[in-house]
Amino acid sequence: MPSVGVAEIVSTVVQPDLFAAAIRIATPLALAAIGGTICERSGVVNIALEGLMLISAFFGVAAALACPVVLGITGVAASWIGVLAAILAGVVMASLHAFASITLKSNQVVSGTAINILALGLTGFLIQVFYQRTGTTDSAVLIPPLFAFDPKPSGGLATAWNWFSGVALGHTPLVYITIVIAIAAQWALYRTRWGLRLRALGEHPRAADTVGISVVRGRYMAVLMSGALAGLAGANLTLEQVGSFSENMTAGRGFIALAANIFGRWTPVGSYLAALLFGFAEALEIRLQAFIGVIKIPPQFFLMLPYILTVVVLAGFMGRAVAPAAVGKPYEKE
Amino acid sequence: MSTPEEITAQRARWMTVAQKAGTPLMSVLLAMIVGSLIVLASGGDPVAAFSSLWEGAFGNAYQTGETIMRSTPLIFTGLAIAYGFRAGLFNIGAEGQLFMGGLAAAWLGIVLAGLPWFVILPVMLVLSAVAGALWAFIPALLKAKVGAHEVITTMMFSFIARYFVSYMLNGPLKAPGPGGTPGTIPISAVLPPQSTLPKFTDLFPWLPPNNAHVGFLVAIGVAVVVWLLLKYTTVGYEARAVGFNPFAAQTGGVSIALTTVWSLCISGSLAALAGASEVMGVHHRLSDQFSAGFGFTGIAVALLAKNHPIAVIPAALLFGGLAAGSGFMQLNANVPDKLVDIVQALVIFFVAAESIITWFIKRRQKEATRNA
Repeated sequence: MPSVGVAEIVSTVVQPDLFAAAIRIATPLALAAIGGTICERSGVVNIALEGLMLISAFFGVAAALACPVVLGITGVAASWIGVLAAILAGVVMASLHAFASITLKSNQVVSGTAINILALGLTGFLIQVFYQRTGTTDSAVLIPPLFAFDPKPSGGLATAWNWFSGVALGHTPLVYITIVIAIAAQWALYRTRWGLRLRALGEHPRAADTVGISVVRGRYMAVLMSGALAGLAGANLTLEQVGSFSENMTAGRGFIALAANIFGRWTPVGSYLAALLFGFAEALEIRLQAFIGVIKIPPQFFLMLPYILTVVVLAGFMGRAVAPAAVGKPYEKE
Repeated sequence: MSTPEEITAQRARWMTVAQKAGTPLMSVLLAMIVGSLIVLASGGDPVAAFSSLWEGAFGNAYQTGETIMRSTPLIFTGLAIAYGFRAGLFNIGAEGQLFMGGLAAAWLGIVLAGLPWFVILPVMLVLSAVAGALWAFIPALLKAKVGAHEVITTMMFSFIARYFVSYMLNGPLKAPGPGGTPGTIPISAVLPPQSTLPKFTDLFPWLPPNNAHVGFLVAIGVAVVVWLLLKYTTVGYEARAVGFNPFAAQTGGVSIALTTVWSLCISGSLAALAGASEVMGVHHRLSDQFSAGFGFTGIAVALLAKNHPIAVIPAALLFGGLAAGSGFMQLNANVPDKLVDIVQALVIFFVAAESIITWFIKRRQKEATRNA
């Protein structure tokens, strides 16, 4: 192999598609992280994000595949029904977590773990029942990008346009919806009565209760919303990115999302930006793998990077974060 | 002859044991009922499923041996997670420490091959445990110093461990192919006999053929040691104190930070023993698929045992039996073996939500009063 200089590697890697990939990879992380933010702001830990994503990723595909047979709906429309099914699956699984941690006052981390293992087992079980094989499902129709664009010939403004369209315009709908959700949730959390009440539940539920806010109802709503958001995350993975579901395909994304939520200081926009950082790291790692022969670092070390970055972020090398005061504690009414 | 008072006291003690065992047994029962419903809903036969599960777990000597073999790593991981829980820590990354323990054993077994077995075996087990403790050390330190949640950090470390093991098996530890050619598959060299844990049938040839190995006895021994450690030593006492009420423990002069580091490292070393015993007793080499999620099943084991080191043994046997029976069930009742994972998750859920029964009764009472 001819020797390749650093400049060459940089110019090959730093292309619009690197940043586009970062945004794409960040999307499911961000959705789950915002779900985690809302959930933890209400005082409930949601370790189950991983499982919620996994189960909705599966039901999204399963519903999209069933649509032509059951409803006679085919193509992209079926995949959109899959998205709705994924949200529903996320909400149903999250209601289990809500019931265990709010009504039954169980250990929230343990209940979340149960859901993670349940999601893993149930999806594996259902693949075999539905598709008579192990590992992966059939492929659903992918939801196409929202805008189609043609690269312009290079030079001056055209380069700028190519960069802009390359980074920002080639994405699928949920990618944009996620950005809207991040901004809307940020606004709702700090500028609406709902947001104020939600934050009160996580900081001082007793005070919230005293002024007449229902702790139980508020927390249920928050957990179910996090289920819906994790559901969208799962839908993005299978119906916009991969097309099919394979066992344990979330590969720790739910946990990385939790770290993104912490790094984002329990705010929706912060969660989105933190997810973007993780997305960028992973996009970079994927592109650098092409230069393994040159960089002489085994591929496994590249694959470790997102996980190492998560630990570094949590280690507080990038500043300390303070969790909502009452997070993880069941509320006992007096 | 015991006096009536003694008999009453004894009966009271048995009542507490029964009460303590009640919820876990109830959870298993509920999990199996829900599991049966899932089988039924998917068009299977739950009776056939669970009877072939039983057959596969304890049907004959060979299958019983499989159950013992599969419960051995679960005793270790169950102990690891139970010890963490006692200190208020959730070591969800036991799988990663298990991988590091397996890696250490696969490497040491080759390096130390010149020594006699009675030196190698203890040295391998101890150093593998140390490897697991070291792997848990950074998450422990981060928890103690900056409060980074161990659930996320140990989980991340378990992904890192798996990639590290994959690297080692594709590089430095890869076994050479036949005739000194470079190896083609990511797997380590076979351990020499003196660095493996013998099967029971090796020691007692009159036993019916089965795959259970001496690691099971080591696991039981370690369970007793952990029990003694928690009950009678300062380290164990402080772990329990911090787990019970960290602020009270601190007021009483216990260092939360130090106890956290010690406890998570001990937990990591126990998980690593699971990896070492799998490499030394079952596979006799390391591959990157050598663990069937033992680190995660350990969570169910610990919860079912209510974090009691001795109770971990029967809990591990239950899940070992489910694992041994699952393949049998898939083959004979045509029910996917993943059913066992579902049952396992449900057990965790029901143990965690132990108030589900009281909640249900209260609700019924409320309805009854409303209707009256």
